Amino acid sequence: MALLDRSDWYDLTRTTNWTQKYVTEDEFFPEALSGGRGIPNSVWETYDEPYKVSYPEYVETQRAKDAGTYSVKAALERAAFVDSADPGWVSTMQAHYGAIPLGEYVASIGEARMTRFSRAPGNRNMATFGMMDENRHTQLQLFFPHANIKRSPRWDWAHKALRTNEWAAVASRSLFDDIITSRDAISTAIMLTFAFETGFTNMQFLGLAADAAETGDHTFASLISSIQTDESRHSQQGGPALKILLENGRQEEAQQLIDVAIWRSWKLFSVLTGPIMDYYTPVEGRQQSFKEFMFEFIVAQFERQLLDLGLSKPWYWDILMRDLDRTHHSMHMGVWYWRPTVWWKPAAGVDPEQREWLEMKYPGWNKCWGKVWDVITDNLLNGRESLTLPETLPTICNMCNLPIAHVPGDGWDGRDWQLEHEGRIYHFGSEVDRWCFTINPEQYKGHQTVVDRFLAGLIQPATLEGALKYMGLGPEEMGIDAHDYSWIEKFRPTKSAAA
Amino acid sequence: MSQSDDALKNNRVGPVMRSGEIANAVVEAAEMDNPDKEITVEDKNAYIRISVDSELILTRESIEECLGRPFRMQELEIDLSSFAGQIESGTDYFRFYFNSAV
Repeated sequence: MALLDRSDWYDLTRTTNWTQKYVTEDEFFPEALSGGRGIPNSVWETYDEPYKVSYPEYVETQRAKDAGTYSVKAALERAAFVDSADPGWVSTMQAHYGAIPLGEYVASIGEARMTRFSRAPGNRNMATFGMMDENRHTQLQLFFPHANIKRSPRWDWAHKALRTNEWAAVASRSLFDDIITSRDAISTAIMLTFAFETGFTNMQFLGLAADAAETGDHTFASLISSIQTDESRHSQQGGPALKILLENGRQEEAQQLIDVAIWRSWKLFSVLTGPIMDYYTPVEGRQQSFKEFMFEFIVAQFERQLLDLGLSKPWYWDILMRDLDRTHHSMHMGVWYWRPTVWWKPAAGVDPEQREWLEMKYPGWNKCWGKVWDVITDNLLNGRESLTLPETLPTICNMCNLPIAHVPGDGWDGRDWQLEHEGRIYHFGSEVDRWCFTINPEQYKGHQTVVDRFLAGLIQPATLEGALKYMGLGPEEMGIDAHDYSWIEKFRPTKSAAA
Repeated sequence: MSQSDDALKNNRVGPVMRSGEIANAVVEAAEMDNPDKEITVEDKNAYIRISVDSELILTRESIEECLGRPFRMQELEIDLSSFAGQIESGTDYFRFYFNSAV
C-alpha cells in the first residue's frame, strides 16, 4: 500500500486545538503556565515548526541513535580507556556527568510543560518528542558513568550532584529553574530550546566531543554528539515562538528573554565548560580553545541566526566579548583553589607547556592569571600546600550563584556590583548579572546563595568543614589536584638553575 | 571591525554532521545539489561542518546516489548534530538558509 507523503497529512494531524465545554479557556490554558500573552489561539495555530518529524520516524531514528551509541560503548568497554586516560580528562568526564544528567531530566519536565500548556499545537507536538529526547539523555548519562562507580565514588555524582547543596549544583539548579521550570511555555521555548539549546549545548556536546575524539575517548565523543542530534531538532521550537511574538508587538520582551538566558547560560558554561576545555583536557587533545569554540558556535552560528530572526545582539554584547578572554580563567582558578568543594579533581593545567598554550590563545594570560599561578607554584614547590587551600568561602553572585571573579595581576578589575532591594543588599559579579535581577526581582529575590546560608547560620558548624558536610562531600569525594601536584616538578629544575 | 563583529558578519549555512558514512555522503551530495556554490568542509574529528553562502540544499536523491542505497531523509537526523542558518525539513530534501544576507 502506498503511503501518503508526510507533508500531505502533517498539518492536519497536528491541528489539535479544540473548544472546551467543561472548563473555560483560561482554566484550560492558565496564563502563568501557557503564556499566551493575549495573542489569539488562531495566531498560535500558525506556529510552524521548521524541523518536522512524525512519530514512526521519531521511533525509528531514535532506535538507530541508541543502537549506535550503545554499540560503541560495548565495543570499547573492555579497553578500559578511563584507566589509562589523563587524570585531567577523567575529571572532565566526572564534572560533566555530575552537572548534566539530572539537568536533562529537568529539561524533560520543561518539555512536558510545553506539551501540556503551549497554545501552539506545533509546539505541543514537537515538545512531546523533546520530552522523550531529554529522558533519553538522562538515562544515557546516568548509565554510562555507572560502569565506573567501582573506580571511584565521584562517578556516582551523576545521580547525586543536583540533589545536594554543593555550590555548582546550586548554580546549575538556579539556572535551570529560571529558564525551564518557573516560566510559561512560550518563555521556556525561547529561553531553554532557543537560547540554551540552539546556542550553548553545542559547546558542551559538540565542542567537547571534538576534544574527546582528539583525546581518544570515542565512547564519550559518540555519546555526547549523538545527544546533540536530538537537541538540534527540538531546539527549533523557539524560532517559531519568537516569530509570533515579533509579529505581535512583543519584540522587547522576546529580546529580554533571550538576553537573560544567554547571559545566565554563559556564566554557567564559564565555570563548567571553560576550565575543562582550556585546563583539564590535555593540550594534545584540545581541538580548539574555549574562546574559539564560543566564536564558532555562539558568535558565528547562534547569534547570526538570532539576527536573521529579526532580533538584535544583546545590549551587553561588548561585555560578553570582553569576558570571553577573562571569566573562565578566573573561574578555573577559583575552582582549583576551592577544590575540596567540588566532586571532581580539578586539573591545574598550568605546567610550562600548558602556560605557553594559554599565552598563545589568550595573549596577556601570564601577566594576569599567570602571576597568581606563580605564587601557587612557588608555595607548592616549597612545601606550603596549606597556603594553596581555602580557609573560608568566597563572595558569591546573587544571580549566577558563582564566585564573584575578576581579573587578577596587571588586569585587576575587581568589583562587587551591589543592589539594595527591599532592605536587603544583593551582590553581583557584573552589571549584567545585576540587570537580570533588576528587570525581574520577583523571580529572584529571597534566594540565598550557599554563602548567604552560611552567614545566616543555616550551615553548622560554621566552618569550612561544616560547609563541606552541608554540600554532601565525603572525604573520598572532595576534590584534590588531579595530578597530585606532579606538574610542579617541571618548574623545579628552572628554579634550581636560577639559584 | 572587531574580531567578534567579523565572526558575526557571515552568511555561512549548512549542516554540522557527526563523522561517518552519512557525513561523507552529505559532503558529496552537497556538491551535487549546489553546483554553483563554493562548499567549505571543516573536519573537527568528531564532527564535520559543511557550509556554503546563504542557502544549501540536500536532496534524498543525491544522498542515495552517494551512499549507493535507499535513504529516508529523516535518517539525516541520526548524525545531524547541529547546523548553521535556519532549517526547512521535507521528506525529500533539507534546506539550510538565511532570510537576509549581512
